[in-house]
Amino acid sequence: MSPTLDATDMSSLSLTTDDIRCQCQQDLERRQQAGSKLDVEKIHRYGAFVGSVVERHRSLARAMDYCRELIAATEGAGRSVRSGTVVFADSLNRPRGRFDRVWHAPVGGLWGCLIHANTLLESSRRFVPLAVGVACCEAVRELGGTQAVLRWVNDVLVDGRKLAGFLVEGHTGPCYGEEYNLIGFGININNSCFPAELAGAAISLAEVLGHQVDLSLFSRIFLAHLSFTLGLLSLVEDEQLREESLNQEGHPLLSRWRELSDSLGRQVVYGLDVMMKPQYQAFAADLSVDGGLILKFADGYEKIEHCGEIRYL
Amino acid sequence: MSNEIDFDEILSKYRSDPFDYVDVCATHTGTVTFKVVEGDDVQAPSGEWLQIPGTALYEINRERNPKLIAAQTNGVVSTVRTELEGKFVEAGERLITIKHPLKKKEIIENILKEVLYLFRAPERAKYFFALDVQSRIEKKGARAVTVDQGEEVLTMSLMKRDTPIYYSGERGVIHSVYFKPGVSVSQGEPLLGVCAPEKLPLIQKIITRVKADWDSE
Repeated sequence: MSPTLDATDMSSLSLTTDDIRCQCQQDLERRQQAGSKLDVEKIHRYGAFVGSVVERHRSLARAMDYCRELIAATEGAGRSVRSGTVVFADSLNRPRGRFDRVWHAPVGGLWGCLIHANTLLESSRRFVPLAVGVACCEAVRELGGTQAVLRWVNDVLVDGRKLAGFLVEGHTGPCYGEEYNLIGFGININNSCFPAELAGAAISLAEVLGHQVDLSLFSRIFLAHLSFTLGLLSLVEDEQLREESLNQEGHPLLSRWRELSDSLGRQVVYGLDVMMKPQYQAFAADLSVDGGLILKFADGYEKIEHCGEIRYL
Repeated sequence: MSNEIDFDEILSKYRSDPFDYVDVCATHTGTVTFKVVEGDDVQAPSGEWLQIPGTALYEINRERNPKLIAAQTNGVVSTVRTELEGKFVEAGERLITIKHPLKKKEIIENILKEVLYLFRAPERAKYFFALDVQSRIEKKGARAVTVDQGEEVLTMSLMKRDTPIYYSGERGVIHSVYFKPGVSVSQGEPLLGVCAPEKLPLIQKIITRVKADWDSE
């Protein structure tokens, strides 16, 4: 159901729920062949909601706003939005990043939002932003961008330039009070012209690989990885509850994040809005068990930050 | 909120006992080992970014995971429930009380907290004003900004997941802002103190009276 646009307003993106399921199956087999110690079949079953509905549009103002309208319109009709609904747009007319930052979203990139009806406990829900970053970084690497790394919390960088950014917003449905995570994604794929203020700070996957990328293929791979990482949160939560253990040390998502990130062991500047109001410099030592960034000061003391952002020095 | 405030009674209360008694409760279930005794001086976190922890108060151990809990306020330990030493306690059990000396500014804030409508943090996170509210504050100042029931007033940020926070409470102007951007606020702590515009003179009267009647800082 589309609140403001007709669902036939199809984009050039070719992607269906079946495509995503097929890609998830391939991902499952690949991980099993690689000897994963995790129960990947069960994880993908938990994450199977991703891509339950796929909407594609030529253009939207903002994908997140559209998703809020979609939730309101669906609930207003006495139904619930299907968890895992993913909304794509070829371009966004009024995109924005965190705070009031400008975000450039022309044709060629992958722009959209996933609606996740929250079924996670708070201790797992806080990992959702990490899960989407890990999924994207793995997808970029799978297509050959092996130098892709994560900067805490979930920016995907190549050679210090931003390839992808994510914005996760909590949202409560207006009729039933259901909680959603709106997972907004902006990934530079074939769009290589950036506005002057982003020149040198942004990069596209096409630039990294030296050739155009099949946007539909990337979408499938990204969503299959997202199915895995979100499913992983549910699996670990389930195991912890059944074993009555609340110790999150060694959460496999955090282990994977560490493998993919270049943030740890670096001198960084931290701020809630680090671009406008940098707060302090410190050494990024590690992740805490709850995903916070452990920052060490020159005087030897530590501080754990659970939100905000960093830039490398 | 009453328009009638017995200033003499309130000031007399603070003059005779200018302290806050801050209860320190178990952060979660576990076995407790105290690190202070009654009469000890304790310090709050310090350093430019509050990176230096406060005085260690107690250790709580759950499933072989010991956690050292430090003071969040300065003062003198007035009570330690020594009967709980080495015992298993439930989350929220009161363990220690700290007698915290109040400054003039804190006394004003305490009185205001009794008369303002307090809009509290739904969970431990960092908070910042919604863009529209922030822009109105920058133009006119917080005390000229009125917030209404259901208005998106703040954004709660936790692990780069931003959640809009809608104001629930009596319509009024933002008189006091209790959070700082970039500093975590615990669940239940006040974020905003709001009062009806017509009651602002009363609030001002409280501040003026305390400032005039209270000598020390």
